[in-house]
Amino acid sequence: MIQRRTSLSENIIAFCRFLRQNDFTIGFEEEATALQALSFIPFQDSLQFKMCLMVTLCRDVRQLSKFDSLHHQYWKELDQAVDSKTKDSLDRNRSQNKQPSLQSLKSWLYGNQLQEEIQTAIHSAGEILVEQDFSTIPEDQIEEISERIREMAKWLANRVNRRHKKSNTRKVIDLKNTLRKNMRNGGELVNIQYKKPKKNKIKLILLCDVSKSMELYSIFLLQFMYAFQSVFKQIETFTFGTSLQKITKELQQNSFRKTLDDLSTTAQNWSGGTQIGKSLSTFVDNFGVQLLNKNTIVLIMSDGWDTGDLDILEESMRRIQQKSKKIIWLNPLAGSPNFEATAQGMQVAMPFVDIFAPVHNVLSLRNLVDFLH
Amino acid sequence: MISLEKIQEMLFEQGYITEPQIVMAVFLSMKLQKPLLIEGPAGVGKTEIAKVMAKALETDLIRLQCYEGLDASNALYEWNYQRQLLHLKVLEKQENLTIDDVETDIFGEKFLMKRPLLQAITHHKSPVLLIDEIDRADEEFESFLLEVLSDWQITIPEIGTIKATHIPQVVVTGNRVRELSEALRRRCLYLWIDYPDFEKELSILRNRLPEIDARLAEQICLFMQEIRKLRLEKTPGIAETLDWAMALSALHFDYLDKTLIEQTLGVILKDWKDIRQTQLSLTELYAKTGIVSKVDSL
Repeated sequence: MIQRRTSLSENIIAFCRFLRQNDFTIGFEEEATALQALSFIPFQDSLQFKMCLMVTLCRDVRQLSKFDSLHHQYWKELDQAVDSKTKDSLDRNRSQNKQPSLQSLKSWLYGNQLQEEIQTAIHSAGEILVEQDFSTIPEDQIEEISERIREMAKWLANRVNRRHKKSNTRKVIDLKNTLRKNMRNGGELVNIQYKKPKKNKIKLILLCDVSKSMELYSIFLLQFMYAFQSVFKQIETFTFGTSLQKITKELQQNSFRKTLDDLSTTAQNWSGGTQIGKSLSTFVDNFGVQLLNKNTIVLIMSDGWDTGDLDILEESMRRIQQKSKKIIWLNPLAGSPNFEATAQGMQVAMPFVDIFAPVHNVLSLRNLVDFLH
Repeated sequence: MISLEKIQEMLFEQGYITEPQIVMAVFLSMKLQKPLLIEGPAGVGKTEIAKVMAKALETDLIRLQCYEGLDASNALYEWNYQRQLLHLKVLEKQENLTIDDVETDIFGEKFLMKRPLLQAITHHKSPVLLIDEIDRADEEFESFLLEVLSDWQITIPEIGTIKATHIPQVVVTGNRVRELSEALRRRCLYLWIDYPDFEKELSILRNRLPEIDARLAEQICLFMQEIRKLRLEKTPGIAETLDWAMALSALHFDYLDKTLIEQTLGVILKDWKDIRQTQLSLTELYAKTGIVSKVDSL
């Protein structure tokens, strides 16, 4: 596949390795593709060189947006390494047998040599994280725990999917209709009718409180739920603090964190009190007809501290309950053993809630799956 | 021999205004014979690329539109049962036919209805196969597709295995309705197309509607750039820009003014909430794009 092996190919492979460390999914095949692709383009054009690598090595938008800076970083570092190497060989040109080792680049590339040990250490730390409350997770472990949540959710979603699969995917002949339709052919079966099991897939509505105390919980919940996209017919996501925002579309393009950041720069009164009632009533008014029916599960994630009018909250909860299949209220505070629903908003909403559950750690997210069907 | 310049030329001739990135992606996917996965918001010309490629290569475009519940029989082949039954009925009158004779007859080519994937691999000339909106299909279909895309052969139990005579040029598009599997991503080259910037949109407009008034074109593009910055349900794409421009120039307008925009907003916005929201921020939009009403300008 690859005819020539030059120092360039070595560099490309090192570059792939560098990308891999930055969460790119690159295997041997991609490396080979990139090298092969490079042979087709004019070598001296650095812009085309970059684009060529971009097309062959990126897999989604997020990688695409990271690529430019990584590419720049790598080749800058490489230039420096080559510089020092040239100087090096001028000093002692006796050792000509020595392969260009680019030692400085390599050591930079691997950071420190203990990569593997660190990874195993992280893994065992993860076991403890499962039961830790999200709010007590230190900043530097957030990335890791969201990764774990994604993985777990993927696995669970696959399981749910299999469980729900209809056993007869093949077409089934609808004899009754077939005979009836073919009366006009004198009973000769020309036109065959089929029947299909009716699919009633569930729609999921996520309403997330994003006031400061709830933000982190919401992030983890969303990451978890989005793995279930194939299980549900549709997932729509809203956030509320003082007002309601629909963010389904933003989430398709960006990470939840970025979406939230964008929101907080556009929303005028971000750090006001939470107005659950008002937000829920906006939701029913604007989206009720379109989104709510008896195949819809509504998932509300909030601690129930409502600074607005409680009557509106009660009214909206009633309307949502009437129109939907199930309301699940997730309250992160409910995870603590001496929790009582003291928040006034919570007390008002309780009668309309079908399932009340905590979501404060990875374990409780996992238990959530059982409520979804 | 395909070269970068030639592809750029071909795309341009077909009226497709490109960015270097798109040219590179198309070029490499042809050279490496790998599927090209194109993602991006609705209405930015993802599907158009496949059409233009087919035209430029002077070959046929075979399109497989994906939807929820799409299965192998709709994508590969199906037997024409009605015809088979009719045929059997006629055969009944003839005696001295063995079961084998009947079978080879009934499972012949003429009773086989080829669906897009089978069509693509049996085509006489390597076609462009467009698999549109793959993220709408179920995950099972995606894995099935992977199999076909890697082996380029299809097994029909009654006939045997059909191998591709020519490997088609595959373009896969997605809207990010659902996350695609890593396996599919890895098999493809990746291209992301975003909404065009002002310059690009303007040149697309001029290219498609050469007779349009220069000032009107500029105003339209400027307005579209601003409208995309609003948080809308369905952000209008290039298709909407073209529709709007076509409508306005058909009505012989040569500049935008407030009344005109208010009257024709329905051409670019397809959601009532969007229209309502835009109407509320129209003043701001006018200020940004420098559009005045007739009364103001007098």
